[in-house]
Amino acid sequence: MKVNEYYRASSLEDAYQKLLASPKNAIIAGGLWMKKMGQSYETLIDLSNLGLDKIEDKKDEVVVGALATQRDFENSKVVSFLYAGAPAFAVREVMGVNFRNIATIGGSIMGRYPFSDVITGLLPYDVKLEFYPAQKMSLEEYLNYKGRLNAILVAVHIKKIEGKGYFKKVKTTALDFPIVNIAVAKVAGEYRVVVGARPMVAAKAYKAMEYLNNGAKDFTKAAELAVEELSFMDNKDASKEYRVDLAKVYVRRGLEEVSK
Amino acid sequence: MLVTFYLNNTQVSYDVRPDEYLSHTLRSHGIKSVKVGCNESTCGSCTLLVDDKPVMSCSVLTASIEGKHVTTVEGIQEEAAKIAYHFAEEGADQCGFCNAGYALVVYALKREIKNPTEEQIIDYIVGNLCRCSGLQSQLNAIKAYLKEE
Repeated sequence: MKVNEYYRASSLEDAYQKLLASPKNAIIAGGLWMKKMGQSYETLIDLSNLGLDKIEDKKDEVVVGALATQRDFENSKVVSFLYAGAPAFAVREVMGVNFRNIATIGGSIMGRYPFSDVITGLLPYDVKLEFYPAQKMSLEEYLNYKGRLNAILVAVHIKKIEGKGYFKKVKTTALDFPIVNIAVAKVAGEYRVVVGARPMVAAKAYKAMEYLNNGAKDFTKAAELAVEELSFMDNKDASKEYRVDLAKVYVRRGLEEVSK
Repeated sequence: MLVTFYLNNTQVSYDVRPDEYLSHTLRSHGIKSVKVGCNESTCGSCTLLVDDKPVMSCSVLTASIEGKHVTTVEGIQEEAAKIAYHFAEEGADQCGFCNAGYALVVYALKREIKNPTEEQIIDYIVGNLCRCSGLQSQLNAIKAYLKEE
């Protein structure tokens, strides 16, 4: 990675103006994937003086600052109570502690990485992203947004609703990317099914959800609907067929788990 | 650019490139205990503590640590000696390349989690790879060290 200037923003407006100043300027969060990509930047904009690393327990939601680290997230008491701990568990599946102390929740979301455990782990829930300048969109809307969003992610709002979650990352070694990852939830009586790393960024399996939320109880059939609806591909880690087989099994197990 | 931080409780100011990583800065100033293995945020050999938290220094820009406290194995000599003793007792110490990173992550584990379970120990050290010994001997050594007091 090549960088000409490292800039510490004094406010969100200051950071935003700097971001707009050149297409070669970028916000840095944890910076781990930036290193891996090895691109050149004119200016990296550091937001660490802006207090965006807090995790706050509000009445109806948990508000996670964009620069809260993955480790902060998984260790947060308030996060651990969300959906039987499933979102925290998903984040704990990422690499080791010395990695998660660098990687941030905001950076993990903004990159829309096809291998992301953080995105898959959060997508079943009612999650809104708060940007500067003032704008909110759901996590799902952001994943479907075309092109680069010229805005700064400030916080991630996770709604507190009674429910239970399940997360499974299939990987060949402890520090590997997922071959596939699955998040299933039952929130206020409604089933949610998400499959990621197919190897594409996580998506909801709407047909399976509709089937279950209309009262059907056949979890095997629901898992089949999920893999029929979502697309899967080959890559060097696994074949399309292997991913489909894994997803079918773990969607079913997830549904069994959250329905208990 | 000039970056000022605390290295083992001593204030230092280094002139660094904006894209320079902490492992490189420290090694170029003589702190050779910071090992660089994969240089891809994976192996954990370069682990050190920033504000008491273990991080992979190959992936932390030096520019980002202005005003922070950096601890290398030189900063925890007494504890490192105890950890080294148990590593030697268990045969966990072979080529030694991963040891400094291990010492720091084990020290951080002890401070962060009181009486950790085996699962918590494994979760904490999984980001530090050893290519010599298969990790069981490290686990035994860490358990013995944590039982010390």
